[in-house]
Amino acid sequence: MALTTSILKTAWTRVAAQMDACKDELNALDGAVGDGDLGITMSRGAREVVEQLDALPDDLGMAFMKTAQAFTKTSGSTFGTLIATGLMAAAKATKGRTEAPWSEMPALLTGALDAMKARGKAELGDKTVLDALAAARDAIQGKDDPAGQLAAAAAAVDATLAAFRDKPNKVGRARIFAEKTVGLDDPGMVAFRRVVDGLTK
Amino acid sequence: MKKLLNDPAKFVDEMLDGLCAAHPEFYRRAAPGARVIVRADAPVAGKVAIVSGGGSGHLPIFTGYVGPGLLDGCAIGEVFSSPSVEQIADAMRAANGGAGVLRLYGNYGGDCMNFDMAGEMLEMEDIPSTTVLLTDDVASAKPEERQKRRGVAGMVYAYKIAGAKADTGADLTEVTRVAQKVADACRSVGAALTPCTVPLAGKPTFQIADDEMEMGMGIHGEPGVWRGKLRTADQVAAEMMDKLLADQPLARGDRVSILVNSLGATPPEELYILYRHAAARLKDVGAEIVMPLVGRYATSMEMAGVSFTICKLDGELEGLLKAPAACAFWRV
Repeated sequence: MALTTSILKTAWTRVAAQMDACKDELNALDGAVGDGDLGITMSRGAREVVEQLDALPDDLGMAFMKTAQAFTKTSGSTFGTLIATGLMAAAKATKGRTEAPWSEMPALLTGALDAMKARGKAELGDKTVLDALAAARDAIQGKDDPAGQLAAAAAAVDATLAAFRDKPNKVGRARIFAEKTVGLDDPGMVAFRRVVDGLTK
Repeated sequence: MKKLLNDPAKFVDEMLDGLCAAHPEFYRRAAPGARVIVRADAPVAGKVAIVSGGGSGHLPIFTGYVGPGLLDGCAIGEVFSSPSVEQIADAMRAANGGAGVLRLYGNYGGDCMNFDMAGEMLEMEDIPSTTVLLTDDVASAKPEERQKRRGVAGMVYAYKIAGAKADTGADLTEVTRVAQKVADACRSVGAALTPCTVPLAGKPTFQIADDEMEMGMGIHGEPGVWRGKLRTADQVAAEMMDKLLADQPLARGDRVSILVNSLGATPPEELYILYRHAAARLKDVGAEIVMPLVGRYATSMEMAGVSFTICKLDGELEGLLKAPAACAFWRV
């Protein structure tokens, strides 16, 4: 088995449901250090993608591209743009193919991570979603079954949340309130953790 | 919140409805209901298009400056929030007259990410584009970190001068060069007396006592340099001029334009009291003032306060500054 457009559709349907379920949790986390709209960004973005699912082409790259465009349609939120940036990197990496083997997931995540770092002008260690993505990427190295990958990613993101909890945010709007962020989970990392939850169901 | 509106969620769309209804000779929505405004005659075939955008709440910035000799298109976000990638891409598509697009906007994290991403999308559609960022707010970072500074009222000069350059039929490389040159020549600083209220938030962006002011505050209420008792117009103008001249020293014979801008609620009377001091100071250093601008050019809705922008000119920039241009808020 490998990642195909058909699997991508199932994945987004699950993620959208999960984002609806955790919308208030993410809004509240974000409200402590930002403008409190992360839950709305994620749920609206995912729902917009779901609207487009029937139109997704078999070309995996084009499918990723459509999801990137759909995700940014509803809001100008920086987090939404970061997600779309990651999806666009995956689009470029898989363009012209109808499937990508599961063993390619670490490479796709690395590509997404690099593009998101460049776009967000953030580094690993800044206490952002990038740290969670990097941990997940490292944890799934050498695994080629989706269930095993998701379990490893979930554990790695949990460990990352714990490791960063007592550190300050170093980038983005949360940086202005850096000291206030000590002791708080980064909302973006939690959002990614909930995406993994959604995919696991 | 004391505002004349119908529904905070419709603030931006109803504002755009009214703007286009009042001035159809300048503004047109790129598509029905879209938060994308283009010139009435867009796209102008063969001309480099200049596209800007950002959050609402700063009129005439950004949308107001769409017009001949100025901007070709604008993407408009919620109040103080970046427009979406899709809106920016739509503005670029609708403005593009086949000679490429300059993205000219202020340096804010969200706007940069979204404009960059829109540029990347357009690249895949073979529409070339470039970026010039305004980083004119001297209070927002030290000179050695100039590239981190926020963009504020310097945008007015950038729109005017880059717009005039594009009108000459110059290509994208040349328009971009001139836009960067004017961005590099602008320095601004602001001072706020009162906050403003974002309709969807319903409460003021910050708290400040009745007898206090904040020097160096950003146009969204970003923290400034100091907060203290309100000072006189001359004291405030002197400190703002000190900051601008320290950052970009002027010599005898230099030619500059200066913008004394209301952040929204500050009336023209107070602006002219401030201008009087600023002009005397420029005369003291021997600089010649060209086409001074005094009024409401870049605002934060009902915020009381002022910003000064000095744009240092050379022959090329001065000629372009004086070239004809028109929009509903400004005519040259």
